[in-house]
Amino acid sequence: MTIETNELILSLQDVTKEFLSQERKFTALKNINLFVQKGEYLAITGKSGSGKSTLLNMITGIDHPTSGSIKVRDVTIGQLNESKLAKWRGKNIGIVFQFFQLIPTLTIRENILLAMEFVDVIPNPDRLKRVQDLLTQVGIADQADKMPASLSGGEQQRAAIARALANNPEIIVADEPTGNLDSKTADSINSIFSSLARSGKTVIVVTHERNTALKYHRIVNLVDGEIEVQNSQN
Amino acid sequence: MRMKLKKTFSDLLVSPGRTLLVVFALVLGIWGVGTVFVSYFVLANDLNANYQSTNPSQVVFHSNQFEKLNLQQFTEKPEVETAELRDFSLQRIEISPNDWIPLWLYGVEDFEKFKLARIFPETEKRAPDAGTILIERDCKHITKIDVGDSPRVRIDGNMLNVKVSGICFDPAQAPATQDAFIYAYTDKSSYKKMTGLPNNQRLIVRLNNVHSDEDVKKVSDILVKELNTNGITISSVEIPKFNQHPHQWQLDTLIFLVGSIGMLAFIMGAVLVSQLMRSVMASQVRQIGILKAIGGSQYQVFQIYIAMLLLMGFSAGIIAIPLSVASGYAFSYFVAWKLNFNILTTSLPVFVYVMLFAASLLLPVLLSFGIVLKGTSISVRQALADYGISQKVSLREFKFSKRISDSSSFILAIRNSLRNSRRLAVTIMAMALGVAIFSTGFNVRQSLWNLLSNLKSELRYDVQVVLGDQVSREAALRPFSSLQNVKKIEMWNGGRGQIQSNLLSTNKGAGIVVLPYNSELLKLKIINGSWLSSSGELEIVMNQQACDLYNHPAVGSYVILMIGEKNIKGKLVGIAEQFEKPKIYMDIEKYDSLFNPDHLINSLMFVAGDHTYEKVVELKREIEKSIAPTDFKVLYVMSQAERVKIIYDHLNIILTTIVLLSFLVLVVSAIGMASATGINILERTREIGVMRAIGAAPKVIYSLFVMEGMVVSISSILLGLLLAYPLSQLAAIFFGNLMLGKEAILQYAFSPSGFLITLLITLLFGWLASRIPAKSAVQIPTHKALSYE
Repeated sequence: MTIETNELILSLQDVTKEFLSQERKFTALKNINLFVQKGEYLAITGKSGSGKSTLLNMITGIDHPTSGSIKVRDVTIGQLNESKLAKWRGKNIGIVFQFFQLIPTLTIRENILLAMEFVDVIPNPDRLKRVQDLLTQVGIADQADKMPASLSGGEQQRAAIARALANNPEIIVADEPTGNLDSKTADSINSIFSSLARSGKTVIVVTHERNTALKYHRIVNLVDGEIEVQNSQN
Repeated sequence: MRMKLKKTFSDLLVSPGRTLLVVFALVLGIWGVGTVFVSYFVLANDLNANYQSTNPSQVVFHSNQFEKLNLQQFTEKPEVETAELRDFSLQRIEISPNDWIPLWLYGVEDFEKFKLARIFPETEKRAPDAGTILIERDCKHITKIDVGDSPRVRIDGNMLNVKVSGICFDPAQAPATQDAFIYAYTDKSSYKKMTGLPNNQRLIVRLNNVHSDEDVKKVSDILVKELNTNGITISSVEIPKFNQHPHQWQLDTLIFLVGSIGMLAFIMGAVLVSQLMRSVMASQVRQIGILKAIGGSQYQVFQIYIAMLLLMGFSAGIIAIPLSVASGYAFSYFVAWKLNFNILTTSLPVFVYVMLFAASLLLPVLLSFGIVLKGTSISVRQALADYGISQKVSLREFKFSKRISDSSSFILAIRNSLRNSRRLAVTIMAMALGVAIFSTGFNVRQSLWNLLSNLKSELRYDVQVVLGDQVSREAALRPFSSLQNVKKIEMWNGGRGQIQSNLLSTNKGAGIVVLPYNSELLKLKIINGSWLSSSGELEIVMNQQACDLYNHPAVGSYVILMIGEKNIKGKLVGIAEQFEKPKIYMDIEKYDSLFNPDHLINSLMFVAGDHTYEKVVELKREIEKSIAPTDFKVLYVMSQAERVKIIYDHLNIILTTIVLLSFLVLVVSAIGMASATGINILERTREIGVMRAIGAAPKVIYSLFVMEGMVVSISSILLGLLLAYPLSQLAAIFFGNLMLGKEAILQYAFSPSGFLITLLITLLFGWLASRIPAKSAVQIPTHKALSYE
């Protein structure tokens, strides 16, 4: 699997994250330097507590580094206020969570429409059709009017991916997206991410396993908050 | 439908019970405030409008020389708006066989044209036929006398049958029912014939350009001087409260009472709404994180929850506004009935509805604004990492719980209660307020009970007869020689003050009561000094009201009392506590030796052989029967039993209402507590799963939550009972004034039965409030509890 373009979309420079608790100071990330190209399919791996989720939170702007800077294209995330950041995130980054995190009181269609309504980049008349297209893309077009609780785990994760794609973001970030699924369902979810990468999306997946069978462009392994190995699978 | 709104609706339906609770809390708050607003709007206007419609007099001059007055010229004075000569005297009327009450009889110049102190016909007749009277409508509540009847009227020593030719309405008078009076109106000629009194001894005046009591006083002083210059000596001047109905103070306190209850409902509703919104926000933390993660700004997320509040406010408004209007009017009509005036505001202006509706929408938003703002300002990271309430217990809390008990489940219950100390504080405060108010209701009831029993123990005579003139002892006793059920008759001299008699009252209006110093029939509670003794000098004892009137003279000092033309110098030996008008007590022998050589008396105090209510009432009737053929000028005949029963009957309704209302407050606070426990449980669902997984039986978890509820209950009871003490003291003063009049003294009293009931009910409510959510908590399967987000 190769990257089609050579265009830098995400850069992390000297990113350090420290957490202060009553007892001690804990450094979750230490001088991380990471550069991601458009269309790259990147895996961030590591053991529990290695700093994977913290790194993901830095990339999505959910959390801010103690030092260093994070840029998505020309935008330095740290310079945006919370409100602008939310809108920017909705437009540029689609997030997929381990536990799907769909709004339980809305149908699958409504969950995706809500994401569009928040960001308001997809014109109103096009939204319903786009929802249907996205659901077809992830293979659950017939589940649009169901409530999340009535879907299986795999179907809920597909719906979550469709929601992540709602505003056509350039980057998709997934935090252990298959961690709560059986292996067969996990394979089908991984294949969706692969195809998204092939279609030009930048996909960053956090996982605690290093599944070499998966065709990532690159695997970044974190150990105690530091990048230990950056494996290219090209 | 827009997705944000759709989410709002769906979230409301996720937990319909909780949504209904919020709406219920809002309904309570809006209803309380709305009732106050509506009744205030109606009452603030209507009592005064009724009063002003009579064109009430502002000053009354008394003189027996008004035949020299040129009324036309007097009314043309720049200071005078209008003036009339209106006769008045105090007589007695028989309202049922041998049951007599005072009759305020007015002689009116012209019923068609009077411009001042007007009355309004309620029946066909505008003016009474010659020799007949119109009676004021409020008397219908205390007597069956109606148009066409000819009740007996006792005028001085004479008995007349006076026909009632019509009913009228005089909204300027104090309600007849409260003071057991009847107001009657006749023409001047009939007045003279009936009473034998001269006409035109009383000039009622309304003034121009006066704005206060002081203005009226100044202008009336000028007028008195001018009248004196014209040879008219004014014997006395009465200035009623400026432009104010005599019972305006009562209305004000009633409005205050409703206001307090309304505010209370509002506060409890507010606490409940904020608790429940806190619960909603607590359950939505993760979702807020997701909404923000998928692109929702804080403002957009905030809109969802504000829309939720607006929807609940709208629903509450739909229910509460008609209720507010209905209860506001019901209360207004009740007050109008009690104070004898008409409700004139029959429809409310649109702005009242707009205000109520705006309040319905704004109240929930205002009450929960901070909670929603805080809830939606949570960062995505915090929201996604949320596991409910604080996981930490401070060292201080840890030590505190350890000190209280060594039982591990009890320690856990206390520590869990302390995990969200702010919520705990709000819950305990709300519940404590409910306990305090409930307990206060009982304490005030006890205070009134004590007052009534004090009244019984202080005044040990059964029937009191007061005459307008002093008569010899032999003459006074003669009519009663054949009475049955009389154990003893003691003879005093005494008056109740200016209204009843000028005979034995001081120039300042205090009644003088002259009795044997060692009388067994009056045992007042002396709060300073001592009761009268047999010492050589003239001793006096004042009640608190008289003490106020004489600017609080020191016990042991000498006080000069002016009674008519005479001055009395007495040594103040004691101050008595009494629920009465200003009164001064002195020994009959000393009084007689100084001022009453013929030993005349005007009061007879009867002690019955059989003190049962029916026998005392019968004795009173027999006394009236005995008085009927005499020429006694009777001021009043009063039985203590009836007096106490009337007071009790009036108070009992109000006291029951107080206890019921305070019970409602307690119920609302219990709901608040149940919701707080519910939130705690909801937030700890995952923790419940963990406890179950490590071996805690459902029974253990259940008892843990019930114990937590009981910790809150017991803390609330302790705080509530502490709060009840100052609250009961304030309430005793307030309700004493409200129900018994301004002179009332109501002492704080502790009600042991009320304490017990409060304790049991609060514990029961606390148990129920924690039992219900605890029961639902243990029903959650372990796997679901563990995966709870």
